[in-house]
Amino acid sequence: MKKVLETKELNKYFYTPVEFHVLKEINLSIYSGEFAAIVGPSGSGKSTLLYVLSSLDREYEGQVLFNDVEFKSLPNHELAHLRNKSIGFIFQFHYLLADFTALDNVMLPGLKLGELTHDDLEHRAMQKLELLGISDQATKRVNRLSGGQQQRVSVARALINEPRIIFCDEPTGNLDSKNAMNVFNLLKNLTREFDQTILMVTHDDSLSSKTDRQIQLLDGKIIDRSEN
Amino acid sequence: MNRLPIFKIVITHLTSRKRQTIVSMLGVTFGITVFIFQAGVITGLQDFFIEKTINSTAHIHIYQDKNQKSAPVLNKVYPEDDTWISVSNIKSKNELPKLKRGLQIVEILESYPEVTGVSPSLSTQAIFKIGVADVSGMINGVNIRKENLLFDLEEDMLSGSIIRLETVNNGIILGSGLAESLGTVLNDNITVVSPGGVALQMKVVGILETGLRELDNSRAYSSIRNSQKLMNVTGNYITDINIKLENVDQSGELAEEFQSRFGYKAEDWKQANEGIFSVFRIQNIVTYLVIISILLVSGFGIFNVLSMMIYEKMNDIAILKSIGYTDVDIRNIFLLEALIIGFFGGIIGLVVGFVISWITSIIPTNIEGFVSSEYLSINFDPTFYLLAFIFGLVATGIAGYLPAKKASNIDPINIIRSQ
Repeated sequence: MKKVLETKELNKYFYTPVEFHVLKEINLSIYSGEFAAIVGPSGSGKSTLLYVLSSLDREYEGQVLFNDVEFKSLPNHELAHLRNKSIGFIFQFHYLLADFTALDNVMLPGLKLGELTHDDLEHRAMQKLELLGISDQATKRVNRLSGGQQQRVSVARALINEPRIIFCDEPTGNLDSKNAMNVFNLLKNLTREFDQTILMVTHDDSLSSKTDRQIQLLDGKIIDRSEN
Repeated sequence: MNRLPIFKIVITHLTSRKRQTIVSMLGVTFGITVFIFQAGVITGLQDFFIEKTINSTAHIHIYQDKNQKSAPVLNKVYPEDDTWISVSNIKSKNELPKLKRGLQIVEILESYPEVTGVSPSLSTQAIFKIGVADVSGMINGVNIRKENLLFDLEEDMLSGSIIRLETVNNGIILGSGLAESLGTVLNDNITVVSPGGVALQMKVVGILETGLRELDNSRAYSSIRNSQKLMNVTGNYITDINIKLENVDQSGELAEEFQSRFGYKAEDWKQANEGIFSVFRIQNIVTYLVIISILLVSGFGIFNVLSMMIYEKMNDIAILKSIGYTDVDIRNIFLLEALIIGFFGGIIGLVVGFVISWITSIIPTNIEGFVSSEYLSINFDPTFYLLAFIFGLVATGIAGYLPAKKASNIDPINIIRSQ
């Protein structure tokens, strides 16, 4: 299997209020088509690791290679293009643009990429919304949708440019258990049916146990469960 | 839309915060409106005044400068530098302000191709009397046809006609203010007394209003012959020559030429009205200061609104950056929003400014002051409109650029981590 993401000797420090070693000697590879979960107690550095792996946070020591390209070597506009084309994000708090309709939110990354005509893009956005079962909400402004619907919209947005990998930060953390399970199953289907690579941070063991692989983090170190 | 992915974001931002957008547009609109109106009124008034002044003063005026004091004769006796001379109470020689060979000078002037009209005249102070009322003023002895060629007197006549100055023996034309203070009407007989004590019975054959108050309150016209009688001088005595030129811009250089050629003071119309032009200069400075401060205030308004908007949109900016929008995209979004506010606010300002100016120009105001005019004359020069618009765009551009630049520097991780 092809490596999508690889870290070598990754270390990360926080300097304020006091110096703190968050991530310690992380060596990790994510492979194409994998559905992986980063798990661990709160404060173990799960989210921080996700932000580093997803290019949002570039203040680290060591190497993070995306398709064999080091994030730090990219100038800002190339990094933006990489995020646009190859990375999808799903956050705990849905992070949609409140003044826009669901359809517009899904289309925004595609508009920026500019590979499709407007009509084709709209067609594809509708397909994604349909896939997630909320095509009937397409023309509503997102702040009029329910939490579960909003999270589906952000899944659709993450999918629109057909990225190499999708990063999820507690994607179900803000949802009730029924909706959480729905969204989780959606994500899992994407990995099964569309061979989508997904890396997810969660503290919910009932969800993480259903993924292909669990990366256990404790005090900034990876504990390999398979060895235990 | 594919070429401009940010355009949709800009439009949505502007339309979803309608009140904010409208308020900042109104700031620009107000600034531009005041710019248009104030510039129109001030320069309109100035142009009106300059036009009136050009029409009622000669382009070049030749006269003898009476106030030149002659140097003490003692200087000639003691030419050495080391002799101190002090003569107190020096008086000018008793010279009449006569232009010697004045009529010959007129003939020479008429042969210049640049000169379109020459009018010789003599003027003296006089007291105008009717019954117990008396008013002092100036009486000008003129060849009325030549004078009319220069100053279009015929057009300014309220009653009577200029030609009767030639046909009626002892005819006089009074300025409107002068006639009013005397209480005379057309065809009244009045007495004119000169400083030399000569009194003349004259008949009012016309009343004249130029619009320049100072002139209308004091000036009267008679024939050259009658003024000479009042001054008790001979038939070739004239004191002033007024000249009108083909091209008013040549007045300065030609005045110099005439002065050196004829040896009399030759003053062009700008020199003659120096005081007014310096008032205009100060007025213009004040006007531009007011306009600039208004635009500055509306610039700060836009700066504030955009800064607040960026503060509110921190999340949006973080999301946009995380889904692949570049720093430049973010900057352009907010800059474009500022420019759109500036553009539409400016257009509305131009229209409102024009409408207010236009309404003002058709409402009779009957201004009585420095000049009298029935309507405010307002300058509709398109240059002002262009200038105001460009200035508005530049001001909003600068006011928008700073917060936009700040927005483009936001690091999404700081926003996302703080949630």
